[in-house]
Amino acid sequence: QEIKFDKGKKYILGGIEVTGVKSYNTQTVITYSGLRVGQEITVPGEQITNVIKKLWKLELFSDVTFYIDRVEDDKIFLELHIQEVPTLSSVKIEGLKKKKGEAVLKEADIKKGKRVTESFITNTRNFLVNKYKKQGFLHARASITPIPDTSAVNAVKMLVSINKGDKVKVKDITFDGNEALKDKTLRKAMKNTKRKVFGRFWKKSKFIPEDYKEDLTSLIDKYKEKGYRDARIISDTVIDNKTNKISINIDLEEGDKYYFGKIDFVGNTVYSDRQLASVLGIEPGDTYNGVLLRKRIQDNTKPDGEDITNLYQNNGYLFSSINPVEISAKNDTIDFEIRIIEGKLAYFNDVRVSGNDKTNDHVIYREMRTRPGQKYSKENVIRTIRELGGLGYFDQEAVVPDIKNANPDAGTVDIEYGLTEKGSSQIELQGGYGGGGFIGTLGLSFSNFAIKDLFNKKAYKPVPMGDGQTLALRLQASRFYQTYSFSFSEPWLGGKKPTQFSASLSHSRQFYYDWRTGRPDKSQRFYITSLTFGLAKRLEVPDDYFTLSHALSFQYYDLENYNIGLFGFGSSGYAKNIAYTIALSRDNRFPKLIYPRTGSRFTISARVTPPYSLFDGVDYGNLENEEEFWEKDDDGNVVYDDDNQPVADVQKIEQEKIKWLEFYKIKFDGEWYNRLVGDLVLKTSANFGYLGAYNQDRGVVPFERFFLGGDGMANYTLDSRETIQLRGYPNQSLSPNIGSTIYNKFSMELRYPLTLKPSASIYGLVFAEGGAAFDSFKNYNPFQLKRSAGFGLRIFMPAFGLLGIDFGHGFDSIDGTGQKNGWETHFIIGQQF
Amino acid sequence: CSQFQKALKSEDVKLKYDLAEKLYNEGDYKKANRLLEQIVPQYAGKPQGERVVYFHANAYYQTKEYYLAAYQFDRFSKSYPKSDKAEEAAFLGAKSYYMLSPKYSLDQRETNTAVDKLQLFINTYPDSEYLDEANELVRELRTKLEKKDFEIARQYNRISDYKAAIKSFDNFLSNYPGTPFREDAMYYKMVASYNLAVNSIYSKMQERLSHTRESYNTLKRYFPDTQYSDEAEKMMTVVNKELEQFSK
Repeated sequence: QEIKFDKGKKYILGGIEVTGVKSYNTQTVITYSGLRVGQEITVPGEQITNVIKKLWKLELFSDVTFYIDRVEDDKIFLELHIQEVPTLSSVKIEGLKKKKGEAVLKEADIKKGKRVTESFITNTRNFLVNKYKKQGFLHARASITPIPDTSAVNAVKMLVSINKGDKVKVKDITFDGNEALKDKTLRKAMKNTKRKVFGRFWKKSKFIPEDYKEDLTSLIDKYKEKGYRDARIISDTVIDNKTNKISINIDLEEGDKYYFGKIDFVGNTVYSDRQLASVLGIEPGDTYNGVLLRKRIQDNTKPDGEDITNLYQNNGYLFSSINPVEISAKNDTIDFEIRIIEGKLAYFNDVRVSGNDKTNDHVIYREMRTRPGQKYSKENVIRTIRELGGLGYFDQEAVVPDIKNANPDAGTVDIEYGLTEKGSSQIELQGGYGGGGFIGTLGLSFSNFAIKDLFNKKAYKPVPMGDGQTLALRLQASRFYQTYSFSFSEPWLGGKKPTQFSASLSHSRQFYYDWRTGRPDKSQRFYITSLTFGLAKRLEVPDDYFTLSHALSFQYYDLENYNIGLFGFGSSGYAKNIAYTIALSRDNRFPKLIYPRTGSRFTISARVTPPYSLFDGVDYGNLENEEEFWEKDDDGNVVYDDDNQPVADVQKIEQEKIKWLEFYKIKFDGEWYNRLVGDLVLKTSANFGYLGAYNQDRGVVPFERFFLGGDGMANYTLDSRETIQLRGYPNQSLSPNIGSTIYNKFSMELRYPLTLKPSASIYGLVFAEGGAAFDSFKNYNPFQLKRSAGFGLRIFMPAFGLLGIDFGHGFDSIDGTGQKNGWETHFIIGQQF
Repeated sequence: CSQFQKALKSEDVKLKYDLAEKLYNEGDYKKANRLLEQIVPQYAGKPQGERVVYFHANAYYQTKEYYLAAYQFDRFSKSYPKSDKAEEAAFLGAKSYYMLSPKYSLDQRETNTAVDKLQLFINTYPDSEYLDEANELVRELRTKLEKKDFEIARQYNRISDYKAAIKSFDNFLSNYPGTPFREDAMYYKMVASYNLAVNSIYSKMQERLSHTRESYNTLKRYFPDTQYSDEAEKMMTVVNKELEQFSK
């Protein structure tokens, strides 16, 4: 039926008839089309085209056609013919085991309800074949057969048949035409395609076409590195033996060996030829090496490498471009001209961050090394990324700098750092058995707290956050001891300078454990209360890796009938301790956490108390001669011994000496990191500590002492004792019960990482160390070391912190019996590293 | 409540629709939405679809689920551009983003979206009854964005990076010529310039001092009775005294 109509004439839409529908409601199709009966419509015209496009876009139809049904006066009646794409009703997979098959279907996104179009079938087949080729199944085949499903409307079943074939291994790789480089060197250059050799287990022999192509490129790169810049592959043949083995034959043409000739710099005004040449590091007469030349100009593998591009980029020349040009090749010598366009100096204009949904601007902007008006520097951009990542509030891998609006004429550039907030609060709630009873721990730690919002109800989502402060609360209790602690720190006190303020308050109580009844005896107890304020300031001179810190602390020890030989004095009494600590440290380890490769960290500190004995007028050496310190009986009469001498009350004398603790403590800790080869790192460390008394009559205090030996885990720190790690010996075995007053320790550790992924870092280590602790300076002999060596493993996972195990062998005896200590196993949990 | 549970589990779309409408009209938006969630897809393309989507969006808005409300209002505007409710939906959709806008010191993604959406609304419906409110919201959000940039610039002053502060205030003043923080920005730029000058090495001092004088002049030109005049005059006394050594 032919109906005449005027081209592009306007009609009123009189009606639409939808034909060809199978599963859809005709009304729904009309609604999708957006056409309404009664509307004005131009036929033919753009409106119709748009409707067709719109319907196509739904990907539900394999055919969309409009027909004119009839025209009555100014009314037009249209027919919309569609053909629906069938949907997938069920899938059967052949050639794979059930579980595997289901996984593959999921991976290929084949599921019920999918629209089965031609392209879907083709793409899926290609996906499946490639998947297996990538795994080394060179002969993998897949077929997909749609079968109409009569049980449902417009549906198909699909039969997916996969034939993986055998895994193909490379039997042999032969080279023809190579004289300068040996077969062995060439095979090594092919990183991914390897011959099948018995006994080589770390790199399997597979043939994966994509990797093979890449290997051919690296083969030529190998030649280029050796001066053969014309080297090429004439042909490469993969001989399929129709078994599961193939042979590869590569025919090469090496060409001549070339050398660098003259290298001229053109266009440089900022740096002299000599400066550039020294960065380039290539002398005339060197073997031609295109790869090296490229790397020295711009090393894409190292964003902070020392190349010419970075020399310019780090000093404001964002718009610079550097191009090496071969200007002549005479015989075997190639002359180069390195053409430099320096461009205008670029300055940062707008510097912003985005993505900080929790952390306030001021916490971020103060850490940035790129500021508005500053000269552009790639190095500073990289450092900013590191520092922002290092704050701990953002995903370290997801700090993305976006350099925008670079304007070479004005010499300005904007930068925006994209951040992704990550959870930085921890809640610890645990219970367990230990020390003869149930131990419960409740810990709350917020590392991005905002204390100013403490009383702002709206800010609790779920806690006030975003000011970069740390707040931690920890309660731990069992029947025998309880610890309560609270700490707070603000990294930028006052917001002007990075001066860290910290405060902590803690209280612990321990009760005597009665072994016979298994109950705590509350009449025998030891309480410690401690309050500390600290300030740490990053210095600018001599360099900004230095930190100077001060701390003022007060401790109160209260013993009641608590006689376990922990301290040198009696079982009841008290001690008060006001101490001031000053420490200077420098830390330029990189990277700072988990696995430092270079740099060092050292700290020298002094902890001192006021010298009370200078002005309190007490003659501590003569206390036993004073009546006040004589033992008295219940009636208050002085007790005399057999020689008619008054008996001194030892406990009272000891108490007098520790009423206010008086001591000074000097410590040095140093560690150095050196990268030996690749990721192999040597950590060398030296530690020294000395606790002394101003007044020898008063003696060295029983607190604050050093305990050497074992894993070094400080699980008992409230009395300011210091546990020093020395592996290969039992915990604290190298110090007497009451602790040492002087120690030194030297250690060497070789580390090698197994993986350094953000989700888990694992490294292995071997160590050799030695240390010694003494009870006085008189007996001190820095060379009388207790030696040990061993090996271990560390695992760092952000969720758990650090876990480790070390096996150490102690070569010396603990008590001087001449028998070496032998093997010890140490578990290391969450230690400073 | 059991009627609600029954409807929730029922297969009968009409039953859900009727109860949802009833709950919606009674103001129980949370429950209404649980039913609407289920029936919105079924009504797509049907005459009642328009009502259902609008109810769904507005119920989210009423229950302060602004992300979802914004999304549903957007859908509504796209699907039913000719609806009587289109204007209201466009406004409430934009206002949902306004509600989501966080405090100035955080990322302002939602604020920017809200400004764009509100501006689009103002341009599309210049005679709307919501026009005044929309204008007011835009003004408030713009001020927030200005405050953000102003505070960032001022922080450079606080951490003694005066060069960055000067540059930031310059950018701020040229980006937001009508900002209510104009006077403060001019003053703090002068403070930055002053601190840079008086702590300067000798060779750059004269130039920096005269820059301070220029900032002072700008401040006085635009705000002759500035609230900061005491502090500004004090600084100028020092600047003038320091400049004397160069005029000799």
